[in-house]
Amino acid sequence: MKVSPWLLPLLLLGCGGGKSAANNTLRLALINDPILNPVLAPDLGSVLVNKVIFPGLVRPDEQLRPVPDLATSWTVSEDGTVYTFALRRRVKWHDGVPFSARDVQFTFERILDPKAGGFLWSDYTSIARVETPDSFTVRFVLKTPFAAFLTLLGYNTGIIPEHAFKGMPIANNTGFNRGRPIGTGPFRVVAAVPGSSLTLERNPDYYGPQPRLGGITFKLVPDANAQIAALRAGELDLVTLEPASLPGVNGVASIVIRQATVPQHYFVGFNQRLPLFRPPHVRRALELAANRRAIVDGVLKGAADLPVGTIPVAMGDWFADSLPRAVTDTALALRLLALEGWRRGPGGSLRNSKGEPFRFTLRVDKGNPSREQAALALQQDWKSIGMDVNIETVEFAALVRDNLQPGRYDAILIWWTTPPDPDQYSYYATGQINNNVAYSNRRADSLLLAGKKETDPARRRALYNAFQALELDDPPVLVLYYPREIQAMTGRLAGFPRLGIRDALRHTELFSLTER
Amino acid sequence: MSGLRFFARRLLQGLLILWIVTSATFVLMHLSPGGPAMLADPKLGPVERAAIEERLGLNLPLPAQYLAWHRNLLKGDLGQSYLYQTPASRTVLERVPNTLLLAGIALIVSILIALPLGIRAGLKPGGAVDRVLELVSFAALSLPTFWYGILLIILFAALWHLLPAGGIATPGLEDSILDRVRHLILPVAVLALPLTAELLRYVRSGIASVSTASHIPLARAKGLSEKQVIRRHLLRNGLLPLVTVLGLQAPLLVGGAAITETVFSWPGMGRLGVEAALGRDYPVVMATTLIVAVGVVAVNIGLDLLYRWIDPRVRIE
Repeated sequence: MKVSPWLLPLLLLGCGGGKSAANNTLRLALINDPILNPVLAPDLGSVLVNKVIFPGLVRPDEQLRPVPDLATSWTVSEDGTVYTFALRRRVKWHDGVPFSARDVQFTFERILDPKAGGFLWSDYTSIARVETPDSFTVRFVLKTPFAAFLTLLGYNTGIIPEHAFKGMPIANNTGFNRGRPIGTGPFRVVAAVPGSSLTLERNPDYYGPQPRLGGITFKLVPDANAQIAALRAGELDLVTLEPASLPGVNGVASIVIRQATVPQHYFVGFNQRLPLFRPPHVRRALELAANRRAIVDGVLKGAADLPVGTIPVAMGDWFADSLPRAVTDTALALRLLALEGWRRGPGGSLRNSKGEPFRFTLRVDKGNPSREQAALALQQDWKSIGMDVNIETVEFAALVRDNLQPGRYDAILIWWTTPPDPDQYSYYATGQINNNVAYSNRRADSLLLAGKKETDPARRRALYNAFQALELDDPPVLVLYYPREIQAMTGRLAGFPRLGIRDALRHTELFSLTER
Repeated sequence: MSGLRFFARRLLQGLLILWIVTSATFVLMHLSPGGPAMLADPKLGPVERAAIEERLGLNLPLPAQYLAWHRNLLKGDLGQSYLYQTPASRTVLERVPNTLLLAGIALIVSILIALPLGIRAGLKPGGAVDRVLELVSFAALSLPTFWYGILLIILFAALWHLLPAGGIATPGLEDSILDRVRHLILPVAVLALPLTAELLRYVRSGIASVSTASHIPLARAKGLSEKQVIRRHLLRNGLLPLVTVLGLQAPLLVGGAAITETVFSWPGMGRLGVEAALGRDYPVVMATTLIVAVGVVAVNIGLDLLYRWIDPRVRIE
């Protein structure tokens, strides 16, 4: 039979390759090849994949509270320094080797060795030693009580198998970290195509309920618009989006849009090494002049929550719900500035007694439309009370390395993603590692230190309520908003918990895809 | 100059170019603000930062890092990727076949389209065909890739469900030729469009300049058919500019097309290079530069030889 060459394109177009096989496989997007090792993985994409492959001792439930995972139960000593975990028995690694307390000890030895190349070291500086009284018991002895310990165990700390590394540095095991990782999770990696995809299939030996999906495929789709197009084409089942991309998915019948609160706070940090920003009145005035509601509604299309302080609404009970949110009051702002000697002169510009203008530069990372527009909105707000504000956009890596960390900036628009625990000692206590804004308030120091150690939930809540109230009078940073993660997913997907994707992916055994 | 000496000289020049290119890349890379993405985590404290810098060798002074790179190069070691934690040379070489496939097919497609059309246009400069093609090729050159790439994806994948939205193959179907071809259609179309337009304009002007030369009417007058005129007298002379353009396109062939590869999630060298540059993955940036430069130099030496074959008068030293 002779086939006209003009028919060939039609033949090619007609073949919807592999659609039936994909029917029970969840397809998710990554922007980069992941590092398949939770101790080493620095980036969000790797963290997402590792959530599926490597369970930890505990995991967060839908209220982000730690519940049993590889550990079945635990006890905490009276003084809060000794945590003893009973481990789950008959758990097998993906290669069939039994899981034991040695693997937990090995994982923490690697985490606590700063030379191993891991990224979890600073989370666990409170650990004095890790003991394994028997094969199914692990005991952590802490130097000081550390209330966030359980939450951190369920945050990024997947357990890795000792036998897979055989004494070699974990960063050197390319075969494991890039190709065939061995975890204990509900899905295991069967194929890794660099730059293209990562294929996982159901783990029949999984210790929890049998996964309902046949598998999960992570596809590398680096471009955000291409991700949305692939979702609409039915080639991806779930993507997370920027607010500006919402029009691309709104009103598409097969796509469900959800918003999840996430433990992040976006803020403008004012460098309190500079005399200009040291008085709390000045930082309060900057806050009162900023119309954060306009930013949330206009720039973020409503996909964010108005803030109180630095503890976001995603933290649930820790968030001080009764305190006022994002108050705007320019008259009060000007009165507070006057108390510090700033008055509006001719032409409306703010000047101090020496006649100097209120002038500073706001730095923001280049290329993200939401953050650049938020910076512009703030510039206008502050201009309207007579401040002279410049905006400078800088590549993110340069912003962090050259400005934020050495403290070389006036004001900086950036954000923190934190574990779902209110402990912010390292961020806002005097002289701590992540306190890049050089905030210093003695009462905040003592509240944060007490909160870090207090293991009684009710007493701990009172401490953080007091801290959030204090933040209204002496704001460490100007919190702009708590973003919500926008999830666009196929209507076929069921069992996806009401969590950000980062935490939701530790619940993949409950996901299912209904028939088309 | 004999062919062999010509070749040897070109080879030496090529090595010099490689050294200049990699050295310039090294300097530019370290001059640009920021640093490796793994150090851009705002949460890192001084202890972790120092440990990472020591592990990557970034604590050494720049001249020492520069020398170390060359020392390791002689051992065949291009270092370990920061972003991917893999040997940089392996990471880059893995992408070469994908790049050659996409860019090679796009190049072949554009030659197949541009050659006949360019000859038609060049034979009658200013004619109707010439003017229409000029307009079309001008439009094709002006379209921004990221825009019409996404447009094609929305039309062919999201709306009509005719072709895949991106990627090199459906995961699990990597061995299916049909699946591979389906994934190639859109990115090839996007990549070939401006390439065709550019080639077409070169071929057209090459042919046009020769077709008005005096020996062509003479050939016609002595009774050669139009086909013979084109084949014997026009093609060889008219094709020299085409070879030049192919030389200019060599970086695309080996280096890939970053935007097209990104829009179509194609795991090629262009995307790898851009990601490495943005993430300041120094070993991969250097490895990509070196391997692309080797490819470009090789293609150009090959084209130099081709020139001498097409036009034996090209013996200029």
